[in-house]
Amino acid sequence: MTAVAAAVGPAHGGEQAAPLFELRGITKSFPGVRALDAVSLEIRAGEVHVLLGENGAGKSSLMKVLCGAYLADQGEFFHRGEPVAIRSPADARTLGIAVIFQEFSLVPYLSVAQNIFLGREPRGKIPGSVDHKRMHARARELLDRLGLEVDTRALVHTLGVAQQQLVEIAKALSQEARILVLDEPTAALSERETERLFSIIQRLQSQGVAMIYISHRLAEVFRVGGRITVLRDGRKVGSLLPASTTPDELVSMMVGRKVDTSYARRYCESPGEVVLEVKGMGAVNGVSGVDLVVRAGEIVGLSGLVGSGRTEVARALFGADRVTAGEVRLLNRSREGGPDRAVRSGMALVPEKRKQEGLALIRSVADNILLASLKQIFPRGWFSPAKGIGVASERIRQLRIATPGPRQMVQFLSGGNQQKVVVAKWLSADAKLIIFDEPTLGIDVGAKEEIFALIDQLVQRGAAVLMISSELSEVVKVCDRAYVMRDKRVVGELARAELSETNLLRLAMHDA
Amino acid sequence: MLVVLGAGFASSSTGFLDGANLANIGMQSTILLLLALPMTLIMLTEGIDLSMGAVLTLACVVLAAIAVKTGSVTLALAGALALGAAFGFANGALVAWLGLPPFVVTLGTLGIASGLALVTTGAQSITGVGDDVVYFYAGKLAGIPVPLVLGAAAYLAMHGLLYHTRFGTYVFALGGNREALRLAGVRVNAYLIGVYVLGGAMAGFAALLLTARMSAAHPTAAIGMEFDAIAAVAIGGTSFEKGNGWLFGTVLGVLLVGVLRNGLNLLAVPSSLQVAAIGVLIIAALVIESFKNT
Repeated sequence: MTAVAAAVGPAHGGEQAAPLFELRGITKSFPGVRALDAVSLEIRAGEVHVLLGENGAGKSSLMKVLCGAYLADQGEFFHRGEPVAIRSPADARTLGIAVIFQEFSLVPYLSVAQNIFLGREPRGKIPGSVDHKRMHARARELLDRLGLEVDTRALVHTLGVAQQQLVEIAKALSQEARILVLDEPTAALSERETERLFSIIQRLQSQGVAMIYISHRLAEVFRVGGRITVLRDGRKVGSLLPASTTPDELVSMMVGRKVDTSYARRYCESPGEVVLEVKGMGAVNGVSGVDLVVRAGEIVGLSGLVGSGRTEVARALFGADRVTAGEVRLLNRSREGGPDRAVRSGMALVPEKRKQEGLALIRSVADNILLASLKQIFPRGWFSPAKGIGVASERIRQLRIATPGPRQMVQFLSGGNQQKVVVAKWLSADAKLIIFDEPTLGIDVGAKEEIFALIDQLVQRGAAVLMISSELSEVVKVCDRAYVMRDKRVVGELARAELSETNLLRLAMHDA
Repeated sequence: MLVVLGAGFASSSTGFLDGANLANIGMQSTILLLLALPMTLIMLTEGIDLSMGAVLTLACVVLAAIAVKTGSVTLALAGALALGAAFGFANGALVAWLGLPPFVVTLGTLGIASGLALVTTGAQSITGVGDDVVYFYAGKLAGIPVPLVLGAAAYLAMHGLLYHTRFGTYVFALGGNREALRLAGVRVNAYLIGVYVLGGAMAGFAALLLTARMSAAHPTAAIGMEFDAIAAVAIGGTSFEKGNGWLFGTVLGVLLVGVLRNGLNLLAVPSSLQVAAIGVLIIAALVIESFKNT
C-alpha cells in the first residue's frame, strides 16, 4: 500500500500545480438517453485513478470522449491548466492519451513490432518502405521495458491474451502516452499475469504516467487505486481516496437509485412444481458450478455484471452451447440435445440480441409469431394461411402489439413491439420455462411496463420464468428471487426479503 | 499444400513431362500470375475481385486497337494500364466509400467490362497487332523468355511491396483489423482503393502478354480467368479472412493450377470439367488448411 499512498500526492486543498489533465462538465447524449451529464474528472501524473460504476453508468462513454472517438456535446478539456480541444483520435494522441480497450486493437497476422508501430512505421530510404531493423530494435526496447520476452517478429495471433495486452501497452508507450486508460485489464488474466501487470503499473507510475483504471474488482481497486471516482447514470457521484472509504460505501454509491413503484407485481406466494433444476452445470462456453431452481409461477432473476456468464448459462440450458458437466432437468426429465429438443420439451428463449437471434426481420409479424409453434397449429403439415393469420391476429390483440397489421414486416416495428412479437412467438408455443435475456434492452419506459405485465401473465398461467437482466432495479421490482453470477459461476441466491440493488451488486462485485 | 502440388505433378503423365511442355506451362502461367499476385493482396484485405478476367479481356481489346491504329506498343500499353486502373478505381471506390461488398461490386464491373468488350469489337477479334507486341510473349531477354522475366519481376515487386513497405503492412491490417488501422490514424479508404487499382492495373499489364501470346485480341479471351486466379491464391494458402496470407504460396498455387490445366488438356478433358477439377483442388486445399488449424 505504501507505493500507492506515495503516488497519490497532495490530497484536498494545496493543489500546487494544475493536474496533468482535466475534464470539466462533459455532457454527451445519444437519441433517447443521456450517457454523460456534466461529468468532471481530474487526472494527475503518476496516479492511478479508478473509475467505478455499474453497466451503463457512463464509464465507456467518458473514455471514448477522452480518446476522441466520441465528440462531447458540452464540456471542456484542460491540459496542465491550458484549455485544449479533443475532436478526433489524433487530437487525443497528440495530448498523450492512449486507451487500451477490452477488445484489443491488434492486427492478428502482423508481427509484434508492426502492431506497435502501426501507422507510425520508421521510414526506410526508398519512399514508402519500412525500416525493419530500426522498427524491431525500438520494439525490442519497449518490450524489455515491460519485461515481455516475446520475439518482436512473432505474429500477434500466436500470443496469449496477457502478452497481447502488454503489446498494446507497448504500443501506447511508443506513442509517448502520458495518460493511459485501462479498461477491465485483468478480466482475462491469470493471477500471475495480474501481478505482472500491477508491477508494470507501478513502474509506469514512477515514470509519471497517469492511469485511469476501470474495473469491477474491488480488491484490485483498493490495491492499485490512488483515487476513486464513482459514476452513476451518467453523473459523477463522488471522488474519494481509497483510504477513506470502504467497499460497502462504494457499492452504495454505485447503486442508490430511487425505486420506481409504478408497477406493482403480485409476488408469487406459493410456487408450483419444480420446472427447472440445475445442479453443478458446466458448459463449453466457460460457465461452471451452476445451481438453479425455478418453479412454476415464479420469476427468478439472474443477475451479474457484463461478462459474468449469464447469457452463457441461458445458451447452455437451451442447448445452444454444449453442456459438459452437471445435470439439467426440465419437468423432472433430463434435458439434453440442442435447441430443437429444448423447444419440444417446452423451453423458450427470448434472446438478448432480438434482431439477430429472435426475429426474422424481413418476414411479417404473423410469420414470426407462428415460427415456433407451426407443428401445434398445423399438425398435419399443411399450412393454411387463413388459419395462420387468425392465430397471429389473436396474439397481436392479446399482447396489444402496435402494428398496422399481421402482414407488416417486423423490421418496421418499434423495439418494444418487436420484443412483444418475440414473446408472442413463445406464447403460441405454450412453453413451460421461458428464459428472458435482457427483455427490456433498448425499449422505452412505457413499453417496459407492458413487457413486465406480459411476463407476469405468463407466470400466472403456470409457466416458470428465468429473467436475465443487467438493470438491478428491474430485478428487484419484478423477480421473486434472484441468483447472482460472477466470473461464470453462480455465487449467491437472494430471497425476496433480501432482494435489493445493493445486495445484488455486492454479490456481483466482491472478490472472495 | 506442397503435398498437393506434388500429387498434381505425379497425376498427369502422358506427354506431360516433356521439357517443352513444362516450359510452356511456365509461360502460360505468367499471365495468371500477374492476376493472382494482386488478387492475393485484395484477398488479404478480406475482399475479392471477380472482374479481373473481364477487365483483362477489355484491356486486350483496347491494347490491340491502339496497337493496330498507332503501331506504338508504349501507347497501347499505356491505354491498357489506364483502363485497368480505372476499373480498379471504380471497384475500390465503391467498396471503400460506399461500403458495398466486394463480391457484388466486382461482379457488376465484370458484367460491364465483358459487355463493353463484346460491344466495342462487335464480337470480332482484333488482329494484326504487330511484332512489337508479340515480342512480349515470344521474345527473349538475355536468353530467357520475356514472359518469365516479367513474371519474376512482378513477383519481386509485389514481394517488396507487401513485406517491405507501409502499403504492404496496411494491406494485412485492412484484413486483420481494419478498425485498429483507422484508429491508428491511417487513411484506410485510400489504401483500400489502392489495392483494387493495383489489381486493375496489373490486369492491364497482363493484357500485353495475353495479346502477344494470341497475336490478337479476342473479346472473350480471358473471361473466367479470375476464377483460376482466386483458386491459385486460395490454394496457395491465403485465407479469405483476417489478413492471413503468403505471397509465395500464390506462386505455387498458380503453378499448380497451370499444371492441372495443362495435364487435363493433354488428356483432352473439356474446359468445363477442368474448372470442376480446380474446384475440387480448392476444396481440398481448404480442408487441409482447416485440419492444420484445429
